[in-house]
Amino acid sequence: MTWTRRLRIFYQAFFLLLFLWLLDRLVHGDLRDLPYSAFHHADPLSMIGVALAAGMIPGALIWGLLLIVLTLLFGRFFCGWICPLGTLQQLTAWLLSPRSRRESLTVNRYRRWYAVKYYLLALLLVLAALGSLQTGLLDPLSLTVRGMAAAVWPVLPGGRPLPGGWLAAGLLLGILLASRWIPRVFCRALCPLGALLGVFARFSLFRIHRSGAACTDCRLCTFACQGADEPFGAHRVGECMVCLNCTTTCEERAIYYGFLPPAGPRPAEPDLSRRKLIGTVLAGLVAGPVIEATGGGRSAARPDLIRPPGALHEPDFLERCVKCSLCGQACPTGFIQPAVAQAGVEGFWTPVVAPRRGWCEYTCVRCGEVCPTGAIARLTPERKIGLDGQPAVSIGTAFVHRGRCLPWAMDTPCIVCEEMCPTDPKAIWLEPITAQRPGGRDIPLQRPHVDPVRCIGCGICENRCPVGAEAAIRITSVGETRDPLNRLLLPVRSNRLQPGDRSAIS
Amino acid sequence: MNDPHPLLPTPYRERIDRREAVGRLSAALVAGGAIAAGAIFFHDRSGTESGRIAVPDWRVQETGLPPGVISHGGDPAANVRRAVTALGGMDRFVKRGESVLLKPNAGWDRLPEQAADTNPEVIAELVRLCLAAGARRVIVADISCNDPLRSFERSGIGPAARKAGAEVVTSRRVHLVRAAVGGPVTGLQVMGELLAADRVINVPVVKQHSLSRATLGMKNWFGVLGRGRARLHQSIDHSIAELAATFRPTLTVVDATRILMANGPQGGSLADVKRLDAVAVGIDPVACDAWGAALLGLQPRSLGFIAAAEGRGLGHGDPNLLRDLGTA
Repeated sequence: MTWTRRLRIFYQAFFLLLFLWLLDRLVHGDLRDLPYSAFHHADPLSMIGVALAAGMIPGALIWGLLLIVLTLLFGRFFCGWICPLGTLQQLTAWLLSPRSRRESLTVNRYRRWYAVKYYLLALLLVLAALGSLQTGLLDPLSLTVRGMAAAVWPVLPGGRPLPGGWLAAGLLLGILLASRWIPRVFCRALCPLGALLGVFARFSLFRIHRSGAACTDCRLCTFACQGADEPFGAHRVGECMVCLNCTTTCEERAIYYGFLPPAGPRPAEPDLSRRKLIGTVLAGLVAGPVIEATGGGRSAARPDLIRPPGALHEPDFLERCVKCSLCGQACPTGFIQPAVAQAGVEGFWTPVVAPRRGWCEYTCVRCGEVCPTGAIARLTPERKIGLDGQPAVSIGTAFVHRGRCLPWAMDTPCIVCEEMCPTDPKAIWLEPITAQRPGGRDIPLQRPHVDPVRCIGCGICENRCPVGAEAAIRITSVGETRDPLNRLLLPVRSNRLQPGDRSAIS
Repeated sequence: MNDPHPLLPTPYRERIDRREAVGRLSAALVAGGAIAAGAIFFHDRSGTESGRIAVPDWRVQETGLPPGVISHGGDPAANVRRAVTALGGMDRFVKRGESVLLKPNAGWDRLPEQAADTNPEVIAELVRLCLAAGARRVIVADISCNDPLRSFERSGIGPAARKAGAEVVTSRRVHLVRAAVGGPVTGLQVMGELLAADRVINVPVVKQHSLSRATLGMKNWFGVLGRGRARLHQSIDHSIAELAATFRPTLTVVDATRILMANGPQGGSLADVKRLDAVAVGIDPVACDAWGAALLGLQPRSLGFIAAAEGRGLGHGDPNLLRDLGTA
């Protein structure tokens, strides 16, 4: 093994372990302020997607620019050296597929359908420009976090189950399994981030060069080629993941990676047909408005669509959320879960809350802290609970269901919701009454009432309600701070969360 | 003897020889033993009475001690030290090599100033006293209502206990087991670390509560129970008395450094907090609770759970039985 390969494997292992370690720390509630969303901040697909959808690049996403500049210099080194999903696929391909040398030479040839990723990228960017950000469905970083959240953490000791996570788990495991037949098939054929980097990599200054004089056309360079970019002929530099395996398998030393090599033969460029590309753009132009109009929930408030605290107004939110699941992984109680149907087609896998699984911890602001795109505003605890002079940030309002509530319906004492209510004064107050049971026995009872002004919809009342199955006190989205129209009461003071609201950061 | 034709079946034999008998009997024995071992190994006894872990009695049989002593003063740790010394010192209650579990109220993500959790200095001093008395290990454990990490960090109990040399067990790490609990508590799981401890010290804080009217030592046992404990509120006084009859601590240490007068049990506003700078240490959990109730301005025996516990002979609901050491 040569030093270039060793170095690459070292970097791949380092970044994979770093990615997993950060995720592990996040899931286990490490109280340190680690850079949990660093990988996601450097994701140019998110950067461009959010920029197209929201018309602005929120804060740290500007780091995506760095990756683009580096790609213009070095090519798609991110795919071959950093991307955790790429490394995982490479690992499974190595573990699962004992291939003969001949098979390896065949399986690493370019195939026309590897161009699908460029059409996907075009479709996703058209949708983003129409305000529906769907890049996160296939973004390798989002996909990996989501897949780990669904397929890895829940089965480890002490893990939290993720109901509805089977699809996210299946996608990740399916991609890894598929690499048994074709190495890195997701990277080669589907990855929209790889496609985006591939567009820039075509201009890269450092690239693979083959000296035609020394080459004996043995094609051993494809033996371990990750990108299926065919360095033996017209090298497809947009597909090349800079794994540098070709430079080490070439026995004639005819291939090297260097600065501004002389131009080789022009490859039949990523077999993009202009007609297909225009068709894809048109399909996106049709699909976007149709999905928004029929499958979404952006204009009318949906009762079961409750977003984490600090989430922006629904249209602004959908323009920023890259479905990375970091907020759900950061949530210490399991309150935040990926949506399956609650947020419509557009909002699939965006974060919603599940009060019977968790609750919003009163002063916790972790979900906003790790959100890489500002879809969930960064709140300070002071801003969240209303110590900064503004009303507290509310995610909804709790309603007592008198037909199920023990003191209301069954004349049985219970005050658990009031006891758990974290606001000060409590948003749940108790009305003392004396109930008469059959037989004439008087029992003193305290019946809970919700004060809708004070209630912040944190859901701990619903979470702890001893009435099983459907709780006797349940939160709905009405009263959420993020939507000025989804209000129960006349507004007293303005408390709107603005996109990119960072005024709260102390 | 003529060998039969190889294609004919072997004829039945009249007798079994010794070697074959021994072989077949031991094979049967091994198979039976394996089945029996597997059955015993896989037998789930948790559904039967004997499968539930008994709750030990952690009390130390001592005569001539007052039910409890009270110490006042600005330093919570000094209060604990003084009161424990007045009861004869920690050596009387914790013997060399024993494991001790401290059960604070670390239920809420609140600061010490908000008086929703036990004062961290009280816990730290108890840890130090137990270790000085020769305790093998000291565990500080609670099943918090809020996020356990936050509750232990913000209350200061986690860092203070670790610094003093204790292990901290939160509900993220806790090992829940089926214990022999009865009455309304039947079926609820109990913190296994508690049942494994040699000595247990209950360290509540004094708070108002809208149903039981006060959260004190006996109600603090809610925090060793697993899922479903919210149900106990339907019959709270009876449930608290049942818990007090089940869990008999070595000591009860009532923290009244700051007490929560309203919006209990988690409070929030400093306006609800009253600073009293007092700590009571006692061997009578009911008398200790009675003292705490009196601090909240309540008539102790008017509280259902104190009356119920006294009725079951678990202690005396009279706060005057505690000896007041005055201010240091």
